[in-house]
Amino acid sequence: MSCIRVGGFLALAIAGALALTTAVPAPASAANGTIVFGAALAATGSTAREGELTKEGYDFWKDYVNSHGGMKVAGKTYNVDIKYYDDESNPQTAARLIEKLVSEDHVSFILGPYGSANSATAAAAVERLKVPMVEGNGAAASIFNQGYKYTFAVLAPGFKYLQGILEMARTLKPTPKTVAIATANDTFSVEVGQGAADYANAHGMTVVYQNKYPADTTDVSAVVSAIKALNPDMILNGGHLDEALLLQRTFKEQNVNAKIFGYSVGPDTPDYRKTLGKDANWVFGGTQWSPTAKYKGAPGFIGDSKVYAAAFNKKYGHIPEYHNAESTAACLAFMYAIEKANSLDPQKVRDALQNLDVVTFYGILKFDSRGINVYKPMAVNQIQNGELMTVWPLGVQNAKPMYPTPPWNAR
Amino acid sequence: MGGITGNVTALRVTVTILVLLAFVPLLHSGYYENLGRGVLMFATLSFGWNILGGYTGYVSFGNVVFFGIGTYTSAALWQHWHQQSIPLAIVCAMVVAVVFAIVLGTPILRLRGHYFAIATLGIALATEEIVANIDWLGAGSGQAIRPLEAFSSYYVAMWIVCAASMLATYLITHSKLGYAFVAIRENEEAAAVLGVNATRYKVIAWAISAAMAAAAGAVFAGANGFIDPPTAFATDDNVFPIVMALLGGVGTVAGPLIGALILTAINETLWSHFPQIHTLFFGAVIVLVVLFLPRGLLWLLNVRGGWRGVVATFGAYRV
Amino acid sequence: MELFAQDLVNGILAGGIFAVVALGFSLVWGIMNIINLAHGAFIMMGAYTSYVLFSTWHLDPFLSIPLAFVVLYVFGYCIQRFVINYVVRAPLLTPFLLTFGLSLLIVNMALFVFHGDTKGITTQYSGSSFSIGPVTVAWTKLWTLVVALAITAVMQAFLTASRTGRAIRAMALDIDAAQLCGVRVSHLYAVVFGLGAGLAGAAGVLISLSYSLQPSMGDPFVITAFVCCVLGGLGTVQGALVGGLVYGVLEAFGSQYIGTGLQDAVALVVLLLVLIVRPRGILGKATA
Repeated sequence: MSCIRVGGFLALAIAGALALTTAVPAPASAANGTIVFGAALAATGSTAREGELTKEGYDFWKDYVNSHGGMKVAGKTYNVDIKYYDDESNPQTAARLIEKLVSEDHVSFILGPYGSANSATAAAAVERLKVPMVEGNGAAASIFNQGYKYTFAVLAPGFKYLQGILEMARTLKPTPKTVAIATANDTFSVEVGQGAADYANAHGMTVVYQNKYPADTTDVSAVVSAIKALNPDMILNGGHLDEALLLQRTFKEQNVNAKIFGYSVGPDTPDYRKTLGKDANWVFGGTQWSPTAKYKGAPGFIGDSKVYAAAFNKKYGHIPEYHNAESTAACLAFMYAIEKANSLDPQKVRDALQNLDVVTFYGILKFDSRGINVYKPMAVNQIQNGELMTVWPLGVQNAKPMYPTPPWNAR
Repeated sequence: MGGITGNVTALRVTVTILVLLAFVPLLHSGYYENLGRGVLMFATLSFGWNILGGYTGYVSFGNVVFFGIGTYTSAALWQHWHQQSIPLAIVCAMVVAVVFAIVLGTPILRLRGHYFAIATLGIALATEEIVANIDWLGAGSGQAIRPLEAFSSYYVAMWIVCAASMLATYLITHSKLGYAFVAIRENEEAAAVLGVNATRYKVIAWAISAAMAAAAGAVFAGANGFIDPPTAFATDDNVFPIVMALLGGVGTVAGPLIGALILTAINETLWSHFPQIHTLFFGAVIVLVVLFLPRGLLWLLNVRGGWRGVVATFGAYRV
Repeated sequence: MELFAQDLVNGILAGGIFAVVALGFSLVWGIMNIINLAHGAFIMMGAYTSYVLFSTWHLDPFLSIPLAFVVLYVFGYCIQRFVINYVVRAPLLTPFLLTFGLSLLIVNMALFVFHGDTKGITTQYSGSSFSIGPVTVAWTKLWTLVVALAITAVMQAFLTASRTGRAIRAMALDIDAAQLCGVRVSHLYAVVFGLGAGLAGAAGVLISLSYSLQPSMGDPFVITAFVCCVLGGLGTVQGALVGGLVYGVLEAFGSQYIGTGLQDAVALVVLLLVLIVRPRGILGKATA
C-alpha cells in the first residue's frame, strides 16, 4: 500500500476513536443552580457490590436534599447532582477518573471511591488537584499518614474495627483471656488485625495466634487447623465477606469452638446470614453504625437512625447497612461544611471540613489534623436467632450479648 | 512479514505520532496527560515484551514482574531514602530488574513453549505473594509515594522511556543482536549449530525486556502515588501489552506503539459509552483480534492481495 | 502430630477436587496442545449451574453434577467447533490469548447476570463432620473426594474401552494417521474440548459445595490445574489424579509450615522446581 493510504488509515483510526471518547458532554459545577459532586465508584469488578451500596448512600442524600428545598449557599438556592464514573474496582482508574472529573467536568467536590487502595490513589490525586474529597469507605490509616490536606474520612479508622469486641469482652464473665487473630493480607485488614492485637496486649489479654492469609484465598484449612490446636477463647478475623463466610463454615466443619467469634466484615451483611443460616448465630461483628444507633442528628437532614433506615428501606427495598450509612454521612459532611463556609470555593470548603464538628444520625463528624474521624466509636453487633442486634456500647445497645458461644454439637 | 523491520511507512507514521505525543503536556489537561501517560507506559511494556516474545520467540506471561520491581524500587527510594528523583528511580529500577532477569533467566529460559509461558506466569504470581509478605516493602498494605509538584515531569519521563524503548528496538533489529534473536525464534537448534550462543542471547533479550518494563514501572509509581502488590503486579499490566503487540504486529518495531494507541482508544471509548459491560466488550475485542488479525495490523498492511489475502488466510490453522 | 495428620487429611480431601480440575485441563492440553485459559470460567459456570438448580428447585448439588457436565459439554463443544477451531493449530500465543479473551467474556457475562455479590450453597448436611482420633473429617469433603475418584475412574474407562475414547487417543498420537483411518478429527477435537469443559463443570459443582461463589472464582484454578498437570504428568488420567492429590497435600503442608501468607507462592515454587528438574512430572512419559 502507498504511504498516504497507510498514514491515512492509521491516523483516521486513532483520531476517530479519540474523538468518540471526548463526545461526553461536560456540565459545569454550580451553573444554573446545581452543585455537582463527582464520584468514581465501582460499578463493575471485584467490589461492584460495595460500590453499589455506596452509590445508594450517596443518592439517598441527593434525593433528600433536592426534595427538601436544596442547599442554600451565599443567598442562592442550589440543587445537587452527582456525576458517577465506573472505576472498575481499579485504583489507577479511580485516580484517572477523578482527574477527568476535576479537569474536564469542572467538579470541585469529590465523594470518595470504595476501598482503601482506590481511596489511596484518589487521595494522591485530589491533593495534587487541590479539591476536597470526603470519603466513607477507605479506612486504612496509611492513607492519612502522608500529610495530605484534602482528604477526609467520616468512618472510624481501620485499627478500631475489632477493638469494640475486645472492649465488650472485658466486661463479660468469665473474662476471655486468649485471642487468635487471622487477617487477609491487604492494607485494611492488616491494620484491623494489628489494632486488635495492640488493644489485646495493652489490656492483659494474650494473643496466641496472629497470621495473615493471601487476600483472595479459597482455602483456609491451614489457618483453621492451627487455631484449633491452640484452643483460644476468642477468634477474630479481619478480612472480607468471602473469607468471613469461608472461615465460619470451616470452623464448623473442623469443630473449632471458641467463646467469641468476631469478624470485622460479614455479620452485618444480609448475605452472610442468608448463606450460613443458623451457623451464623452468636457471631459478633464490628460495625460503624446500625439502625438502632441512638444519635440525634443536627437539623438539615434526618436526625434519627430508625427514621433513616425506614426511609431508606422504602426507597431501595432493603434495610441500610453501614456502607450505605457512611456514604450518606460523607455527603452530610460536605453539606454542613459548604453551608458553614457559605461558599463554593474549594479552599474555603476544605477549611470548613477541617473544622467541622457536627452530630448526625451516623454519629459525630469531626476530623483530626490528618483528616481521620478518630472521634467516632465502633459499635458491636451480634447475630442472635437470625437477627442482628447491637450489643455494645451500653449507650446504644438494644440487646445483651449472648455469651459464651456454645460448642457446635450443642446447638 | 515484510522482513525483520516491518513496514517502513508504518514506522514513519508511528514515529510522527510519537513526536506528536510529546506535546500533550501543553494541553494542560490532567485527563489527557493521564491517558497519554498510560499509552506510553503500555507501549513501553509492549516493546519490552516484543523483544523477548516477538523477536526471540519466547512468549512470556510474566513481564509484569519487572514492572512491579520498578514500582517497588521507586517506592522504596521514597520510603527509606526520601528520594523523589525520577532519573534515579529509573536507573535503580533497571539495575535491579536486570539482575533479577539474569538470575531467574538462567534456569527458566531452558524451558520452551507452553512451559516457559506458564513458568513466567507462575513467577509473576509467586512474586506478588512473596512481596506481600515483606515488611520492608510495605507488605500487603503497600507504600505511598509523594508525587513531585511538577507533575508533568512524569509524563515527560514516560515519554523518554517509551521513545528510548522504541529506539532500542529499532537499533536491535538493525544489528547482529536482532538477527541472533530471530535466528533463535526460527530454529534454535540450527542457530546453535551455526555458532549462536542461544543461552546468552536469550538472557540478553530477557534482560532488555526487563529493563524496559522496570523503567516504565519506576515512573508509574511516582505518578500513581501509591503501590501495593495488586497494583504493582496487576494482570492488566501483564496481558494488555501482549494484546497490544499482537494487535500492532508482533516482531515489528512500530507494532507495540500502534497497538497501544488503538487499544487505549478502544478502551476509553468503551468505558465512556458502555460503562456496565465495558470489560465484556474488551474480551470480545481480544477474541476478534486473535481470530481475524493473528499477526497484527502491520501484517495486514503487508499481506499480498489486501483484504482478500486476509480472508484467504483466515482459518489457515483450523483442523 | 495431630496437626500433621489433620493437614494430611485436609490435603488429600482438597486434592480430590484438584484432580478433577486438572483432568479436564490435561485432556485438552495433552490431546489438542491447547492451554485453555478459560478453564476457570468453565468451572465457574458449573458452580453457578449447581447454585441455580439448588436455589430454584432445591436439587442437591451432588445430583446436579451430571446436569452441569452435560451443559458444559455442549457449551465447550460449540466453542471449540465454531470459535477455537480456527486457530487450534496456530502457534502458542494465539490460542492462549483467544482462550484468555473468552474467559474475560464469560466471567463478565456472569458478572452481568449474577452480579458480584458472593453467593453460597448451604445444604442440610454441610458443616457436619465425624472424627477419627484427633482428625476431624467433614462429610461434604469426604463425599466430594469419593465422587472425584469416581469421575476419574469413569474417564479412564471411557478413554481405554470405548470406541470414541480409542479414536481420541489415536488422534493424540498422530493426527494425520488417525485421519487416514477415518477418524473425524474436527468432530473429535470438539468432543475432547467438550469433555474438558464438562469435567470443569463437574469440578465446579464439587467446588460450590465448599467454597463461596463469585464470577471470578474459577481463575485461581487455572494455575492449580497447570501445576497438577505438570506435577503428575500430562495427558493421562492417572497423571491428573496423582498430580491433584500430591498438590493438595503439598499445599496443606506448605501453608502450615512455611506460612499461610505464602501458600500460593509455595505451590508456584514447586511448579518451577518440577519444570526445571523433571518436566515430565511424576507419571509422565519422556517426550521424544
